[in-house]
Amino acid sequence: MSKWIPLWLHKLSSPPTFYRFAGALRPWLLALALLTGAIALYGGLVLAPADYQQGDAYRIIFIHVPSAWMSLFIYGVMGFAAFLALVWRIKLAEVVAMTSAPIGAAFTFITLVTGSLWGKPMWGTWWTWDARLTSELVLLFLYLGVIGLYHAFEDRRQGARAAAFLALIGIINVPIVHFSVNWWNTLHQGSTIRLLGPSTIAPGMLWPLLTMMLATKFYYLASLFGRVRTDLLDLESGKDWVRTIATGSTLQ
Amino acid sequence: MNGGSLQHFFAMGGYAGYLWPAYAVFFIVLLADFFAPLLRRRRLLRELRARLGRKAARQSRQAPTPTEPA
Amino acid sequence: MSRPGLTTACAAMLRRDLTLAWRRRGDIAMPVLYALIVTMLFPFALGPEDTLLERIAGGVVLVTILLAMLLALDTMFSSDIEDGSLEQLVLAPQPLALMLAMKILAHWLTTALPLIVISPLLAGMLHLPTSVMPVLMLALLLSTPMLSLLGAILVALTAGTRRSGMLLALMLLPLCVPVVIFAAGAVAASQQGLPWLAPIAWLGAALVLLLVLAPLACAAALRIALDA
Repeated sequence: MSKWIPLWLHKLSSPPTFYRFAGALRPWLLALALLTGAIALYGGLVLAPADYQQGDAYRIIFIHVPSAWMSLFIYGVMGFAAFLALVWRIKLAEVVAMTSAPIGAAFTFITLVTGSLWGKPMWGTWWTWDARLTSELVLLFLYLGVIGLYHAFEDRRQGARAAAFLALIGIINVPIVHFSVNWWNTLHQGSTIRLLGPSTIAPGMLWPLLTMMLATKFYYLASLFGRVRTDLLDLESGKDWVRTIATGSTLQ
Repeated sequence: MNGGSLQHFFAMGGYAGYLWPAYAVFFIVLLADFFAPLLRRRRLLRELRARLGRKAARQSRQAPTPTEPA
Repeated sequence: MSRPGLTTACAAMLRRDLTLAWRRRGDIAMPVLYALIVTMLFPFALGPEDTLLERIAGGVVLVTILLAMLLALDTMFSSDIEDGSLEQLVLAPQPLALMLAMKILAHWLTTALPLIVISPLLAGMLHLPTSVMPVLMLALLLSTPMLSLLGAILVALTAGTRRSGMLLALMLLPLCVPVVIFAAGAVAASQQGLPWLAPIAWLGAALVLLLVLAPLACAAALRIALDA
């Protein structure tokens, strides 16, 4: 860890400092997530007009697309943190990478389920082997692999580094899978169904969608901070600062 | 909003059977994701407190003249 | 102090692993037997209809061989971890990636090569046309080393854990999706009389890339998994 990282960031990456920082920020992030989420839901479910082709079923887009976006975004964050963890062995980066995995897996799961619930009335099928759907499924397996590998180790930090390595391999894998499934679909023509979202979207539909994307971002940070705090307590349970928190439990 | 339009809202143009389960999954999964670490944190702190308590008890037993714990 | 040259070290490594494998010949036969049994089950499950079996033959053989390799993957480093020789290898002056590449080669020779040798038999059981056999063999020759190389990275990552075959499968399956797609794509294209060179070329390019990168990644993974 060196001169490239500014001093305040270096200080922030110390577990007790980050524990307090995350604890102070988390309620605000949660409040922001709930507020923007409520606005987006009102806009999406009540104000936005029904789609002229899909009727009201398209309203699943307001949770499906932000979840899909988050599933990739969180994988990116996890990969970045994994890189930091492997190169500089920053404990906080390890924790961030490993706590991002379950949240990302949750969003990926939501994406798959809502996509399937949207697909049934629109295309008449719960599932099709389209490149985007298949990549999303592979993404879920990658998340599960990272989580599984992390928990397979007795030593948590060692497990975090091994799983971080796997996460980095996965980052290379996702585009390759997407490309190969695309190629595969051109080979097996006839079984494909055109899956296209509306390319031109009415502004009345767009702003709730963007607001929901913001809400899921805030939610991710709030959930991440909660998980990081818990994991830090677990990892540093022998340290003095954790002991003070445990005994003077009313403080935080 | 009167009852008729509320019913209209919940019917979602006949797609209620797909739309509401999707939203339910979204909220249930995220709620579970949010509360799981909080519950784990409470359990961790309780265990830690119990461990510290046991340690303190053991120390006071070993030293019969109770002094200020370091 | 004179060190043995790299070639000598590589040859010694390869000879050692092959000798060890030869002493447990029964283990080599297991994946082959497994592949035979699985292939035999398909006609029973789907009915002995020639046209149907012919259509699925290529894919079934590929997936069966993939699963048979997955079964044998666990043993790639396990005995070396148990007796501590893997840690010796990490500390040895020779480049770890090269030594691991030799181990992977030995593992491929003892598990994948027998499977490739019997693959015409497996495909024949499912009535794959004889004209497609060479493409199937070629696809297997290119894709099985990739599975060994990718698998080696993951086995190295799990070196510090209690063995868990299911976890290995969970980690490997996303990585081998593209391999399966292109290998099966080549076989299917050849079966339909379409040009099959493009997917084979993709497989070849990916194999060359993996031959260079995978041993390095495997060495890095092993260092992470072994040093606490």
